[in-house]
Amino acid sequence: MNRKHLGAIIVLALAVVLASLAATSKAATKRQAKTDTIVLYASGDVNVQSLWQQYIIPGFEKKNKNIKVKFIFSEHGVQDTTTLARIGAAVKQRKWPGIDLVDAGLVTTLATDGLTQPVTKATAPNIKNVDQKLLTPVKGAAIPYRGSSVVLAYDSKNVPTPPKSLGALLAWIKAHPGKFTYNSPNSGGSGYSFAETVVDSFIPANVLKQMQTGYFPNLESNWKQGLDLLHSLNQYVYQGVYPNGNAAVLDLLGKGQIWVAPVWSDQSLTALKTGQLPPSVHLTQIANPSFTGGAAYLGVPKSAKHKVDVYKFVDYVLSPAAQTQIINVMSGFPAIPLKLMPKAIQNKFADVSANSLRPTYAQKQQSDFKAQWQQTVP
Amino acid sequence: MSVSFALARSAGRRVLWFLFVGSLIVFMIGPIVWLGLRAFSGLWLYPQLLPKQWTVNGWRQVFNDPNLSHSMKLSFEFAPVVTVASAAICLPAAYAFSRYKFPGRRFLLISLFAVNAFPKIGLYISMAGVFYSLNLMATFLGVVIVQLIGTIVFMTWIPAAAFSAIPRSLEEAARDVGAGPLRVFFRVTFPLAAPAIFVAMILSFLASFDEAQGTFLVGVPKYITMPTEMYTLVLNYPEQVAAVFALLLAVPSVLLMALVRKHVMGGKLAEGFQLR
Amino acid sequence: MRRRELREGAQGLLMVLPPVAVIAVFIGFPVVAAIAYTLGRAGGPNSVVASLGQRQFIVQHGVTLDAYRDVLGNKTIHRDLWATVWVTVLATLVVVVVSWAIALYLRLADTRLARIVSGLSVVPLFIPVVIASYAMLVFYSSDGFMRSVAYHLGWHSFPTLGFTLWCVFLAEVWVNIPFGVLMMSSGLNGVPNNLIEAARDSGASMPRVVRSILLPMNVIPTVIVATFTAIYVLGSFTVPYLTGPTAPNLLGPSMSNFFSAFNQPQQAEVLAIVVFVLALGIGAVYVWANVRTGKRSAVAP
Repeated sequence: MNRKHLGAIIVLALAVVLASLAATSKAATKRQAKTDTIVLYASGDVNVQSLWQQYIIPGFEKKNKNIKVKFIFSEHGVQDTTTLARIGAAVKQRKWPGIDLVDAGLVTTLATDGLTQPVTKATAPNIKNVDQKLLTPVKGAAIPYRGSSVVLAYDSKNVPTPPKSLGALLAWIKAHPGKFTYNSPNSGGSGYSFAETVVDSFIPANVLKQMQTGYFPNLESNWKQGLDLLHSLNQYVYQGVYPNGNAAVLDLLGKGQIWVAPVWSDQSLTALKTGQLPPSVHLTQIANPSFTGGAAYLGVPKSAKHKVDVYKFVDYVLSPAAQTQIINVMSGFPAIPLKLMPKAIQNKFADVSANSLRPTYAQKQQSDFKAQWQQTVP
Repeated sequence: MSVSFALARSAGRRVLWFLFVGSLIVFMIGPIVWLGLRAFSGLWLYPQLLPKQWTVNGWRQVFNDPNLSHSMKLSFEFAPVVTVASAAICLPAAYAFSRYKFPGRRFLLISLFAVNAFPKIGLYISMAGVFYSLNLMATFLGVVIVQLIGTIVFMTWIPAAAFSAIPRSLEEAARDVGAGPLRVFFRVTFPLAAPAIFVAMILSFLASFDEAQGTFLVGVPKYITMPTEMYTLVLNYPEQVAAVFALLLAVPSVLLMALVRKHVMGGKLAEGFQLR
Repeated sequence: MRRRELREGAQGLLMVLPPVAVIAVFIGFPVVAAIAYTLGRAGGPNSVVASLGQRQFIVQHGVTLDAYRDVLGNKTIHRDLWATVWVTVLATLVVVVVSWAIALYLRLADTRLARIVSGLSVVPLFIPVVIASYAMLVFYSSDGFMRSVAYHLGWHSFPTLGFTLWCVFLAEVWVNIPFGVLMMSSGLNGVPNNLIEAARDSGASMPRVVRSILLPMNVIPTVIVATFTAIYVLGSFTVPYLTGPTAPNLLGPSMSNFFSAFNQPQQAEVLAIVVFVLALGIGAVYVWANVRTGKRSAVAP
């Protein structure tokens, strides 16, 4: 009996030796290679993952044979907290955070707290094409690389004439209990946009402007009326539970459980293409006010390694070739002016671009808003 | 009359008993089986009890993920290393806890466990600072340490109890015949405590295998293990991929279980969690 | 003799040093830093987090309890706290009762069915928590097994448990049963056979044997299962995150919300400490029970 245990323990020990040998030999081969590797961390939904993994990174690597891009993906930002901890500690100690480029909501936090590197024309020439207005909320320390907006999706089978304004939408929700929902604001941008849009409709324009550009905790009393209205919607929302994440709402829409919901334009267009949403689902924008939209940012932590290579990559992301892929693959808005894009694309986006979308609150104001929604609505 | 009454009572009890056992089996295994069916389902609408269409798409998605095989290999590398490293530093400690008297013995034994009760999510930022200061970020050793932290309680408590259960007289008898202390340990003490140590190692192996957040904190970008990948895949292509994983993991689980069931059930575990 | 004791003590301390040092450096130190941060100290190891967060309560000298006041005065937290306490208490109770039943079944009727049941109940130990949570969610969702079966049995309005606290509760029970069964059956196996047989021979009924022999001899394993389950549920994140509702949910996910979505790390740390204190309270019961039985049974080695 005891012999047997001893045997098992010896086998385990042998496995350890072999494993560590394998690990060291792998490390050795890595050292021999001459190429530089930069690390990109992205969080979001599956469309973000496939954009990087299947299109932009292969395209860049083909052009730059000596640079490899390692891609780390965090679904719904599950790893954002640990990543923020890691980058914060690394920059403070001036050590490599293990991540050279970040594509996640936390970039704006990093940028406004001075943990990311400002990118200039000298480092990435294509940055000159980006609308400079988009750089102010992040103190010039993050790079807007695509835009996206939230739209209203509706199942035309059951909803022949969709609501055209926020007021009409709210009336529709009350008239059709259980056929509408939005994801909780902290779990994804589409639900966030709906909640903010409702609240914004009660806020004077000049106050709104302030909240979009800076952090003013004393203005937050203006949210009361809108949050109360959102609270009163609880009984009309599908099953009275707010789904977790943008994708969960699309799922309900695809299964026909709900008929109307706020969704990301890019994500839902992709879902229509792949059949996750049936063709009977149509998209529209509402008015007074419209849903918000905005840019997604890339950030370079101050203590990143291989910065020259990272800037090359950023420059490539802002090139017309990569921007065209953003449009084609994930139906996003380009971050550079349309006149630089191919003709076919120009026609497709006659009147929208990343900067003509209704802006959201500044980062810290958003965090507070999510906290207050969580406190008062569900 | 009284006989038939007793019979009815026992029959009623039997029915109740089978109901209990039946619902227990459904509760424990149902979710895994139901998920297993999803692994092959193409179209499945409520309230059908079986899928309408069958497919192997989920399997294709899992095996086409380029990171998956690598992270699986990493997981199988780290878990045994962590287990053995944990045994190496904890077994001497366990022996000391059971055999030696020293100041603060019980305090240290308890605080090993107490400190672990702090929710890890609250510690990541200062933990990251510590790992950076010691140059352990993104190193093999760093990941081993962060996974090892969660195994220390099992690895100290269970073997310590096993050592305590061995009568000192046995060791003393061996020593009287002229064996040195190390020889006594490896010839007498260790074989007797081996089943408990084995159980502790299995629990450590599983703990290290399941650790996700800490490994991500320390391992990025080089060492991303399976639980982290699983989060991504499960949330991304939920229905089928989660199911595929469940099936894939069932195989090693069943093997491991067959191996350890007898020892784990054999009375070693409860002793291990008694403070002495 | 005295010198030998000293030497033994020193040797003992030296041998326990490695694991204690690992815990002290990598967990103990961050715990101390976290406590200092919640009390308003933003220097040293807390400077990174303090430079990122918002709505912080910082003092240069002394300490402040404002962060605690802020969190404990928050109505959402009250609801989350209650949800956590209820789910913890219920899950712990059910785990204790069910694992007692399974272990007892195995101990008294060592049949093939008994072995199958206890074998099956250990399965969750080997399933990663992510997968387990997802399996539970799918099983109890609106198009899941329970509702489908209920539909075929004629109950068309079986409640959807997915994304409710009930689902969290069921999943926590599922995840914790293996440990409970292992611990209980290992404890019951420690009761000598001849003790039971002697009682049976002298005419004691089975329930009586259970009540007067097995129950008192299995107190410590029961306490262990209860405390470890309760501490696990209190601090769990993955299970409530994947299976629970938006609000109120357990403190694990709301801690994570405060960290990333609301960017209020100090409040998140306060919640961590609340969980820690609750866990320590439960742990104290466990230590107390151990000490008490240790004193009573002089036979223990």
